[in-house]
Amino acid sequence: MKVATTLSGIIDYKRPGQGTSDIISAGFENAFLNFDALCSPYELENTGRPVIEQEADDDPQIKVSAQPSYMHKLLHPLLEKCGGKSINEKRINIEAAYAPYLPRETKHGDEINDLLKELTIESIKACAAFGCHYLIVRPLFAGIEPGAEFQANKEYYISLAETAKQNNVILLLENQCSNIGGHLVRGLCSDAQTSAEWIDSLNETVGEERFGFCMDTGICSICGQDMREFAIALGARIKVVILRECDGHNENSILPFTGINTSSFQNEWLNLIRGMREINFDGTLILEYAGTVSAFSPLLRPQLISLAKSVADYFKWQIEIEAALKKYKSIVLFGAGNMCRNYMKCYGEKYPPLFTCDNNKSLWGTSFCGLEVKPPEALRNLPEGCGIFICNIYYREIQKQLRGMEIENIEFFNDEYMPSFHFDRLKRNDEMGD
Amino acid sequence: MPKKLGIGVQTQNIIEDDAPREGFEILREVGFSCADFSLNAYLKNKALYQQKLNKFFDKSDNELEQFFAPHKKAADEAGIRINQMHMPYPNYVPNGKKELNDYLRNVVAPKSMRICDFFGCKYIVIHGFKLAYNLGSEEAEWERTRDFLDFLAPTAKEMGITVCIENLYTGIGNHIVEGPCCNAGRAAERIDRFNDKYNAEVLGFCFDTGHANLVGIDFEDFITRLGKRLKVLHVHDNDGISDLHQIPFTFTKSRENKPSTDWDGFIRGLRAIDFDGTISFETAPVLTSFPDTMKKDVLSFIQKIGEYLSEEIASTTCHEQK
Repeated sequence: MKVATTLSGIIDYKRPGQGTSDIISAGFENAFLNFDALCSPYELENTGRPVIEQEADDDPQIKVSAQPSYMHKLLHPLLEKCGGKSINEKRINIEAAYAPYLPRETKHGDEINDLLKELTIESIKACAAFGCHYLIVRPLFAGIEPGAEFQANKEYYISLAETAKQNNVILLLENQCSNIGGHLVRGLCSDAQTSAEWIDSLNETVGEERFGFCMDTGICSICGQDMREFAIALGARIKVVILRECDGHNENSILPFTGINTSSFQNEWLNLIRGMREINFDGTLILEYAGTVSAFSPLLRPQLISLAKSVADYFKWQIEIEAALKKYKSIVLFGAGNMCRNYMKCYGEKYPPLFTCDNNKSLWGTSFCGLEVKPPEALRNLPEGCGIFICNIYYREIQKQLRGMEIENIEFFNDEYMPSFHFDRLKRNDEMGD
Repeated sequence: MPKKLGIGVQTQNIIEDDAPREGFEILREVGFSCADFSLNAYLKNKALYQQKLNKFFDKSDNELEQFFAPHKKAADEAGIRINQMHMPYPNYVPNGKKELNDYLRNVVAPKSMRICDFFGCKYIVIHGFKLAYNLGSEEAEWERTRDFLDFLAPTAKEMGITVCIENLYTGIGNHIVEGPCCNAGRAAERIDRFNDKYNAEVLGFCFDTGHANLVGIDFEDFITRLGKRLKVLHVHDNDGISDLHQIPFTFTKSRENKPSTDWDGFIRGLRAIDFDGTISFETAPVLTSFPDTMKKDVLSFIQKIGEYLSEEIASTTCHEQK
């Protein structure tokens, strides 16, 4: 699984040097390119309408909506920093991109759809220039009668398939909202089962796997969807997951875990993580946090991007939590409390620990969840290739203790996003021991 | 002649135990033909989640019948049909004591069925168990609800009652997400399987507009997928954020001042399935929000909305039949 950052709000497409440098310094190797930065929904909405005010621009006469191939010229500065290989400098790999799209509340009819197709064709070619494998192409909706969505979109997507094939690009459908009087509700492709059927039908028509799905967690969140159910219905068709938070009813791109309200989170990541584990997701996790980026001072941006990298890595780690367990020939746990109990409930049978240990002397020699509780000293005599998993929230303190004992193979376990939970919690005051 | 749908409202905040005649008389006066008997008002969900149990359902069947006899008589005299009833909920308290959950299953549920039968009511709405967080999946959660429904089914069959599962939401942190029975296709399959098993229509669906609105469900698609399995409705409105149980058409979110709930989709869906049940409002909180002296006016307004919806659903059905 790969992790990638958005470029939105971080990169100035005309002068991308500082932004790419910040991204590389934060440790990101992959990024997500949004072609709507070159042809915004606003620009598309105003296509064919009298221009009231000319935007200040280096080349104000040419708009991408008027001349879609002009997109490539605007991408030149970024192309020098991203994609491909360079011996002399580290470059950012573009993992996925967004084709330009209309605003949800468009007043256009279906006459705009030819332009959207043209822009998408140019976006596919631009993807090829960056070596980008996935292009997210939102379904058409302007001027399409209810009930005719699939037929209209099938024709649209199939018409893009040959260009996509020539450029080695996979086209991804994405879940959308609809707007009912200002209330965002489930829209096109937001029913996972229906989307799976669309994708299968498209792939069958072109005779290869040319289409997949991009799961936007922000839309799932606004629509109150169970992300585990959503992910399972689409399964391996999901190639890209966009991680972003909204406030539950308005669309936004907030860094995960920061969209809080009265000390409580507003996105539920548990079901996403459960779902991603169950489908063995191995695609790309894209962190979309343009809203958070725009709220921070440019002076703080490098630190913010570093935090975003940690958040992305955390998601990857949670989804692949079993990968750490598989690394070792055998394992032991550190901690004989609720986290150990949760480990044993969900993973004890598949990855049985040799024993657990705890700093609490009163537990030594007792049995907990079928495991013998030993003193930390027992960790000095482990078999070769044995991993020690800290099952206690005082991770760093215990890690320091174990490092002081010159013990290796120290790993963290975490029970925040378990496949299932006990109905009760043990009421022991001192899980840490003395 | 276009089919005329029943129009009802929940009895909570309208029917008083010490003078039920008065409340049913108001319903008759303002034009309601049906009522959703709020049995859940006798064992409140907030108390149950706090593991507090009152003694109401300790009454024997005879005592319960005596207790509700005036209600039944008053409804009959006012010409109001108790078309649906809400069983107290939850029927299972996660993290609740075994004695509490045993009582909810073995005492409250069977007695609720008998009260439903006593009123001659054909539909009783239950809440599916909210256990996906603990059990890890919606499927595992449904297994527990199904077990409960299996427990009720023989009684339901004997009494000719259809137990209706309802689309629910659940809260995780400050975020509302879909809860049990929010997948219409899956609900339809489960209902069919269940009814095949018992060779009777013992299971149906209650579509709750407010709950659906909270989690952005496409009303028309959901209702159409359910088809004839949809037996009863909980009609109410909200701002898309909280479960407010307010009057339909009152919420807007844009300067165009169009409704932010998809009432057109609701009408289209019911029209498509040729719904012939009752437009039943679950709007009890409205009656505590307005001054008490306006109760009759408010109920009259709600009834008129019911008439509007009924006509919209039925008239086009007629039109399509031409």
